[in-house]
Amino acid sequence: MLSIALSELIQVFRNRLVLVTSFVIPVVVSAYFVYQHDVFAETASLGYIAAIVTFTVCAFGLYAGSVTTLASRRQNLFLKRLRSTAAGDAGILTGLVLPVTVVALVQVTTILTAFAMVTTAPKNVVLLVVAVLATVVMMVGLALATAGLTNSPEHAQVTTLPVTLGVIAVASWVGISGTDDLTLLKRLLPGGSATELVVNAWNGGTAMTDSLLLLAPTLAWVVVAAALAARLFRWEPRR
Amino acid sequence: MSTTPVIEVEQLNVTYGDFHAVRDLSFQVRRGELYALLGTNGAGKTSTLETVEGHRTQTSGTVRVFGQSPRNRRAVRPRTGIMLQESGFTPDLTVTESVRLIGTLTRRTDRVERVLDIVGLTGKAGTKVSQLSGGEKRRLDFATAVYGGPELLFLDEPTTGLDIQSRDALWSTVDRLRENGTTVVLTTHYLEEAQQYADRIGLMHRGTFHREGTVAELTRALPAVIRFGLPAPAPALPLPAMRERDGRYLVETFGLQKDLYTLLRWAEDHGLELRELAAGPTGLDDVFRALGDA
Repeated sequence: MLSIALSELIQVFRNRLVLVTSFVIPVVVSAYFVYQHDVFAETASLGYIAAIVTFTVCAFGLYAGSVTTLASRRQNLFLKRLRSTAAGDAGILTGLVLPVTVVALVQVTTILTAFAMVTTAPKNVVLLVVAVLATVVMMVGLALATAGLTNSPEHAQVTTLPVTLGVIAVASWVGISGTDDLTLLKRLLPGGSATELVVNAWNGGTAMTDSLLLLAPTLAWVVVAAALAARLFRWEPRR
Repeated sequence: MSTTPVIEVEQLNVTYGDFHAVRDLSFQVRRGELYALLGTNGAGKTSTLETVEGHRTQTSGTVRVFGQSPRNRRAVRPRTGIMLQESGFTPDLTVTESVRLIGTLTRRTDRVERVLDIVGLTGKAGTKVSQLSGGEKRRLDFATAVYGGPELLFLDEPTTGLDIQSRDALWSTVDRLRENGTTVVLTTHYLEEAQQYADRIGLMHRGTFHREGTVAELTRALPAVIRFGLPAPAPALPLPAMRERDGRYLVETFGLQKDLYTLLRWAEDHGLELRELAAGPTGLDDVFRALGDA
């Protein structure tokens, strides 16, 4: 698993297109939000900026990057090659998505740390960590499911759009307008409750028990994504 | 040493929707044997091979490799090297990185330099896979398959796209592995390779064995052939012969020596020259052609 992860990391840094679309763009967008935090904090809150940074990195870097990688490895039969060895399926998938996941976590951590330094520290760091991790797991699950519907790395540019744009839209909607109205809908949408969780963790003022309840929809999306992935994921190209 | 076959296939069936790719196929491969699966396109070779490799699940029947299910990768794969029909390497890794990664994942131990030397890719060690030619990719594929000297080696059309030197080199490596007891399962389009290297051949046609046996057994079941051309006009032939499309004559016989003598004496008596005279046992080519006609 670690040898697969290492080789993936090498490839990420050799492939400039992946590097730019998956890692540079999310950082640039996030940096813009952090830089303009006064403007965004006025319309929403500092917590909203933390949420949009988390989702930008997770949607473009982690999610779209994973789908592109998996589709590309399947298309050139590298997945089949890996399955010709003693490595198990779970180890192969973990190895393939591990580098992108670690890079995304490092990005989120770095940007949010910088954000905390230029503004104020999050009120509840533990909750923030839990919220970010839950979001990461959900996005990886959705990536595996989407990869099953994606025939090629080029095709990934289309197949990833609904989820990337969807979660960014949900995060913005929930982050800016809050969950006082249409509460149930906002919390059930993918990324909705995770956004609220990040916002609460950063801004504070919410009871821990109330916040932990918000984990339930996020984890439910993890289960849905895992079930979809189990049904949709393919190891070999369609003939 | 155990006498259990390395591969046991019983009543194997593989279907894709309505298409029955493999029907009730049974065969065994013994330790140290080189077994060739041959067949026309769509005969079911690849479906059979992929099931035995563990890449595909059978619809029914049993497949055992080293007494285990081939899908039990942890148990079977450290002892198995697989050369796939299509290479499957990722373009952004170098030759060395690819061999090291796949080699490590087989859980066998070897030196990357040694394996690259065997396949003649030492000079390309630092080259990215995307810059290799088709033949070089096949050799890279072979390198990962023989990494660590597996007990069982699957070769799916290994020499397709290789030049003659690379082909010879590949077979001499296979010979060396076989001296150490490696069992080999092969599919190939080059019939002369099967004829030259295989101990036994399973000849597949429409998902099942048309024939199975040693090369000698397969060719013995078919008549030997004599081919020749005659100047026109010629007197009546002493033997029943067929006129081929190119105007040459074809005699099929189970008594090659006697019939050839008859023919030669007849030609001598009539002062005729038998142009491009050829006589010999039926090759696998003819076995194949017979399948096409069936």
